[in-house]
Amino acid sequence: MLKIQNLSKVYEDGTRALTDVSFTVPEGEFVAVIGLSGSGKSTLLRCINRLIEPSSGDIWWDDVHLSHVTGEELRRARRRIGMIFQHFNLVDRSTVLTNVLSGRLGYVNPIASILGRFPEEDVQRAYASLQRVGIRDKAQNRADELSGGQRQRVGIARALMQEPGLVLADEPVASLDPALAHSIMRHLQQINREDGITVLCSLHFLDLVQQYSTRAIALNQGKLVFDGAPHEIDDAKFVEIYGREAERIG
Amino acid sequence: MRSEGNDSQKGNGRIRKLLILLVAIVLFAYATEVTQVDLREPLEPKRQENLISLLRELARPDLLSYANETLSTNISVRMPCPEEVKASQVQNEGRTVLLIPNCATTTQDVLSLQGEGFPPNASGLVRWYPAESETTRRLAEFKADANGTFRVDFTMPDIRETADPQRIELQELTARHITGLSDTTLLALDKIVETVLMALMASTIGTILAVPISFMAARNLMTDIKLPLAAIMGSILLLPVGGWLGWWGTQQLVALAALISGSAFVGLGAAVVLAALAVVSVRVNPALSPAETKVAPVAITGLWLGTAVLSLLTLATLAQVGLAAGAWLQAHLGVFAFVGNFIFVLSDLLTLLLPALVGLVGILVGMSLGGRYGQEAVIRLPERAARLLTLGVTMGGTAVFVIGVCLSLFWVNLLGIREYVPETVGGQLQILILPALVVGGLAAAVSLLRPPKYPYPIGIATYTFTRSVLNITRSIEPLMMGFVFVVWVGLGPFAGILALTLHSVADLGKLFSEQVENIDDGPREAVNATGANAVQSVVYAVVPQVTPHYIAYIFYRWDINVRMSTIIGFVGGGGIGFVLQRYLNQLQYSRASVLVIAIAVVVTILDNVSSRIRTRIT
Ligand SMILES: Nc1ncnc2c1ncn2[C@@H]1O[C@H](COP(=O)(O)OP(=O)(O)OP(=O)(O)O)[C@@H](O)[C@H]1O
Ligand SMILES: [Mg+2]
Repeated sequence: MLKIQNLSKVYEDGTRALTDVSFTVPEGEFVAVIGLSGSGKSTLLRCINRLIEPSSGDIWWDDVHLSHVTGEELRRARRRIGMIFQHFNLVDRSTVLTNVLSGRLGYVNPIASILGRFPEEDVQRAYASLQRVGIRDKAQNRADELSGGQRQRVGIARALMQEPGLVLADEPVASLDPALAHSIMRHLQQINREDGITVLCSLHFLDLVQQYSTRAIALNQGKLVFDGAPHEIDDAKFVEIYGREAERIG
Repeated sequence: MRSEGNDSQKGNGRIRKLLILLVAIVLFAYATEVTQVDLREPLEPKRQENLISLLRELARPDLLSYANETLSTNISVRMPCPEEVKASQVQNEGRTVLLIPNCATTTQDVLSLQGEGFPPNASGLVRWYPAESETTRRLAEFKADANGTFRVDFTMPDIRETADPQRIELQELTARHITGLSDTTLLALDKIVETVLMALMASTIGTILAVPISFMAARNLMTDIKLPLAAIMGSILLLPVGGWLGWWGTQQLVALAALISGSAFVGLGAAVVLAALAVVSVRVNPALSPAETKVAPVAITGLWLGTAVLSLLTLATLAQVGLAAGAWLQAHLGVFAFVGNFIFVLSDLLTLLLPALVGLVGILVGMSLGGRYGQEAVIRLPERAARLLTLGVTMGGTAVFVIGVCLSLFWVNLLGIREYVPETVGGQLQILILPALVVGGLAAAVSLLRPPKYPYPIGIATYTFTRSVLNITRSIEPLMMGFVFVVWVGLGPFAGILALTLHSVADLGKLFSEQVENIDDGPREAVNATGANAVQSVVYAVVPQVTPHYIAYIFYRWDINVRMSTIIGFVGGGGIGFVLQRYLNQLQYSRASVLVIAIAVVVTILDNVSSRIRTRIT
């Protein structure tokens, strides 16, 4: 269970990106995070795995005080939290296999991994992950030789290597065409359903939210303005989330 | 209103331009004065003559060696003159040579040698063979005109008088063959190889050192590193401890290795056994990561330490064996003796450097342990205890820092400070302890201003420090460094290598770090998010992105080092510059010319290769 209590983030330049956000995510849920651009979605997701330091508030994941762990403990917590990025964030010049294996770095012997050696079972696991997202045959290609959809699948395979209990996906389909978007979302749904991995996924399109998520939370200027089932977002709620000028599409 | 404003603006603009022009004129007038631009002196005939002869010498590089075929014509001459002064005439293969007069009494006497019937434009030397002597004197050169006639006048050389006639020989050059490369060319080849290898060594060692430094000098990698004071001070406290343990311990191991490898065979056996043991323990170790196993952390630490000691002992023993084997090979390999020498030098280097290297590692380990324990303690301890701990380590760490800085200042004798302090390090320590503790106490008091967990931006501090050192080092002329190293390690290429290495480290460190700052931060974010540690994140997210740029810079730097090593030779740093300087001083311009050509050829080739590699990689 992920518990977020009174989370606030003020950037060094004074921007208030999150104000007093609290919510709880039971294990196994698929939560969509929605809101206008700049509403604080990325900030929220990055506070959870501490790529961004929260200014105040608490984040608990089961019995780990995520907002306050440091050093070794933080790394041990992070290795069980996968992250998927809008721009994939693959290492272009490395092979797909190396990119996927890097998801294992938190587990393996640091010195061996620095020398580029991974245990055989991890290599097998990497192939299995690639198989699962359907690009096992690309394992030896360089990451920059892949198409956008394939690259995002590498991102998912990398996250799977972490044996995550939680996956944070920051607009995973915003750089993909609609057909690919559905395929990526289905992969996320699959790992959520089959592996029971909790997914927190920021999205821009309401139809995706309603099709894939079990619950939605909405941010507006850093404040939580909605927390409920996706189908509860009616026109009134929509205006509250996206503002008066927004028009509902799809 | 508006146009008025515009007008006054225009006026201002004109005045400003006029001012700039005036300043420029004054500046250039002054520059002409200061730089002593003088057009009259270069036009003087004497200067022009010198210039022309210099250029002609340079244009006649001494590239090849020749064998000459000559035709000798001998004519006898008397010293001193008999009563009756006469002329002599000799015929040889259709050539007629006339000597007027055919004798001389004093060194002021002028003799005239005239030739006829020579081939048009024939040339050669006139030599004097004194009687009763092995040596000959070169008197003059002759060159026939289009009709085959010439006349050379020369004064009597300062030679002992004899009763017998002496001999003058005309050596006419009849044919000339190339027999091979001149000695100068051979020397140039030899030295240019030395130069290129010097540059190679400097670039390689420079790269190895510059890579880790470049990460410390990259702002994007360092900004995130923030530590509580206890961690920073813990690092400083354990720095000397780790360094000393590593250095001293390894010295003991090296001594032990020298003992057990009394004979090369015993040593080899020992090395093999040790290596096997080391390999086994390395294989055991990775299985034991404290997080996953139930083994006590003490046992794991013990195992790691044991492995490290065993591996070091193996290395030290191998080095001892290498010393013996290298010396033996050098004596027995004949042409390939240099392989033996290489093994010997490597082993020697290993023996000498091992304690220093391990000391360095000890410093790093000490710092990382101090940092980790400091951080963990501050997190786990209750506020009050954390505060106390921070106070304590701040005092200690600051004191150690102050002592370290002061000892270094004493050592370099900053502003002649050595006059006022004790000679020995022990004595210096004695006078330093109390002030250091006082400063430490002050620092501890100041540390109370912030809570113990306050993250101090130590990363940015490291970055700023590293950058400054790199910039200062870069701005020191390599020539100056070369000079210092020549004083230290003596004349020769080794001094050159050291100077070039130092400059390369600074230069590459800066260039590399700029590449690190230019990387895409996304992959780094992703790798960090998987729970990778700092080193893993650099290896997996940063290194792949910067490698091609690093390689390009390494070649670029090699190219620069070749050029620079020609200059460093001027202060005695070996390489081709050393020889070039000698020839220039001896006014042997046609030889110097060969060296200049060799440098130009090599630099051009390297330039080409490096730019090709650069475009291919990036
Ligand atoms: N590093 C930063 N420094 C200062 N302000 C920042 C920083 N990162 C984000 N912000 C600001 O914080 C607010 C929230 O940004 P965030 O990226 O979390 O929004 P978002 O909902 O993810 O937007 P988008 O949908 O465009 O990705 C914005 O106003 C943004 O400008
Ligand atoms: Mg965002």
